[in-house]
Amino acid sequence: MNGAIQGGWGYVWTAYGVTALMLIGYAVSVWLRLRAERRRLAEDTPGIQ
Amino acid sequence: MKGSALASRPSVPGTSRVPAAFLIAGAALLLAGSWLGLFVAPPEHYMGDVQRIMYVHVPTAWNAMLALTWSFVCALMFLWRSDWKWDARMESAIEIGVLLSLLLCIQGSVWAKPTWGVWWDWDPRLTTMAVLVFAYFGVLTLRRFVDDPVRRATWSAAATIVASADVPIVYYSVRWWNSLHQLQSSPATVSRSFYLPLRMNAFGILFVMIGLMMLRTRLAKLHLRSELAPPLISSHPVSDSEPRLPGGAR
Repeated sequence: MNGAIQGGWGYVWTAYGVTALMLIGYAVSVWLRLRAERRRLAEDTPGIQ
Repeated sequence: MKGSALASRPSVPGTSRVPAAFLIAGAALLLAGSWLGLFVAPPEHYMGDVQRIMYVHVPTAWNAMLALTWSFVCALMFLWRSDWKWDARMESAIEIGVLLSLLLCIQGSVWAKPTWGVWWDWDPRLTTMAVLVFAYFGVLTLRRFVDDPVRRATWSAAATIVASADVPIVYYSVRWWNSLHQLQSSPATVSRSFYLPLRMNAFGILFVMIGLMMLRTRLAKLHLRSELAPPLISSHPVSDSEPRLPGGAR
């Protein structure tokens, strides 16, 4: 025992995985909401894309 | 507050590919920085491999603080200029600031368990951070429950200014109080071998954040335009459909 933390790769992968998941998930949610809003606006005002 | 600018709807959001360019550049930097942090940088002397979490945790913290500080600037600009674009920018900055702050707390918890032995501790840094997340979450909730766009924008700008008072408190909490959380690192306290992945990820998250903010601002502007749009068929003059500020200004 030298006081150093041994192993811990599970924690490292969890942190990186959650980071990727949250950033990608949020990007997808913004893209889907933007697409839905554009579609709704186009339906409400025909002729405007 | 000047009312004249609120008479018009926000400008039509652009469809340029600049946000996509920021997102791609940010993702590339994040991938490269994370690869360096995970496989090239040496393990830290005491924390071992668990320290590799810092290559995403610290850049997330910097950018979360940046997003929430930007929301404060947007709130001030909205109250000063009465321009809808600042309301849209504020909404986007708050949402992304809350996302990064939540992510920051999760990363911190995952790091704390093997190093401190607990997932969470009510030490000054973590407590002030939790207050910050709840305060900004409250601003988002407020925006959800107010239907009138002028009131929503004005009230949430004021609430954002109040909530943002906690940003410097979070930053200085580790210096002002006896905290379990370590002090901020600087180039003088970090080994050279740790610089590159830290900085690459910092710019990676910054670029991703800018790209997401631009897209989220477009969404907010589109939503505002449809909210403020005059009805298609109306027996009233078109100008009456737009929100009126106290004193008759629109």
